[in-house]
Amino acid sequence: MNTVATHEAFEHPALFYRTEQEYVDRTVSFVQEGLDLGEPVAVAVPGPNLELIRAGLGADARAVRLLDMTVAGRNPGRIIPGVLRAFADSHQRGRVRIIGEPIWAGRSDVEYPACAQHEALINAAFEGRPVTILCPYDEARLDEEVLADARITHPTIVTRDRESISEDYDWRSVVARYNEELVPAPDAVVFSFGADELYAARVFAVEEAGRLGLAGQRLADTELAVAELTTNSVVHGAGRGTLAVWARAGQVVCEVRDAGRLSDPLAGRRPPSRGQIGGRGLMLVHYVADLVRQHTSDQGTTVRFYVGS
Amino acid sequence: MPLFEQRTDGAGGRVTLVPVSGGQRRRPRVVDVSRGDDGLGPGRGAAVLEVGPLTGRPGIRARGEISEITRSPWEEALAGLARRHADVSYVELSEVAFVDVAGVAALAVTALGLSGGRVVVEHPPPQVPRVLSLFWPGLGTIEVAPR
Repeated sequence: MNTVATHEAFEHPALFYRTEQEYVDRTVSFVQEGLDLGEPVAVAVPGPNLELIRAGLGADARAVRLLDMTVAGRNPGRIIPGVLRAFADSHQRGRVRIIGEPIWAGRSDVEYPACAQHEALINAAFEGRPVTILCPYDEARLDEEVLADARITHPTIVTRDRESISEDYDWRSVVARYNEELVPAPDAVVFSFGADELYAARVFAVEEAGRLGLAGQRLADTELAVAELTTNSVVHGAGRGTLAVWARAGQVVCEVRDAGRLSDPLAGRRPPSRGQIGGRGLMLVHYVADLVRQHTSDQGTTVRFYVGS
Repeated sequence: MPLFEQRTDGAGGRVTLVPVSGGQRRRPRVVDVSRGDDGLGPGRGAAVLEVGPLTGRPGIRARGEISEITRSPWEEALAGLARRHADVSYVELSEVAFVDVAGVAALAVTALGLSGGRVVVEHPPPQVPRVLSLFWPGLGTIEVAPR
């Protein structure tokens, strides 16, 4: 192994912790090691954990970018472009160090597949880049299935006093396994559209989402997201598709189905350059929604997004 | 007149709303407002964009919506704005009902490509400041005068 390869290697360890003290010890020493090396450091973890790290760092916290992951990463699909790449891309020289905790005990069953896919896709998004992303997992409160997935999505695992190579590492299998078929909601209203109905599809979405309780910025964001997804169907998805809208557990759900196949697993998560006009449609959906679920196969693609009122 | 009619399939009770246009195809309509064609008002017609030069000051004004169907005339108008740009150019959007992400991107990329000065975007629909804040925060070459 030569020194250039070592310097440029992406590092993505999972930290399995059992106690608050262990969490603080490991994360604070990880941050301080980065600061000592002159590396830019960001921490994106759930609010209570963020406060633990902030307190543990003391005055050093001022040198660290601190984000509440339950806000910045509520939709796991926007963490790569909006949190990780946003920070790494703003520091192009040398290694960048990040703590990212996208999976916590309160994540729902609907959210979890998107969380696991996000963890897997980090490996593709940062391949070959001098970035270290440490992902804490609460061994005491997370299901064993979640911990097993973490061993598949992370090349190395840190437990107690040692870091070991994960024999299970195979991130592509997690992307594939959670590419779950999305069963149509029985109570949805559905609108079929082609190129000539893009405007009508948007009007339909606004009417339905408004009737189901969305207003203001959230309704405006829903209109924009539906416009992007329906346009993608017309341009990339065999020219037409169906839009469904329904309510679920206090959220409005919008779903667009078409006959296309989403071949790029990082679609919507790879920020285009500032001077590029296209390539932001699906990323917009990730940015404004609370959750995005996708399923793609040779039979077609479904993108479903959730917005709370 | 309602925009949709309701159809229910007998098996699953699934409700489908379809446009009442009865299969009639709506074609994008692009006219040049500088020739005095008043066209359709904002919000009345789908996929319509009227775009032309401002009178008395540098820049363009548009009416209708900026989306995939009307992308080409919008980008052509912005390219013309960039060619004629000196110090300050104006983009008057008070009669534009909707701009999609690529439409805002074309505006931002045009502003990024200017050699100097700025673009003042007047009275745009809410998608413009929203998309700018998400993808081009702090872009100094665009000034938005809100509705």
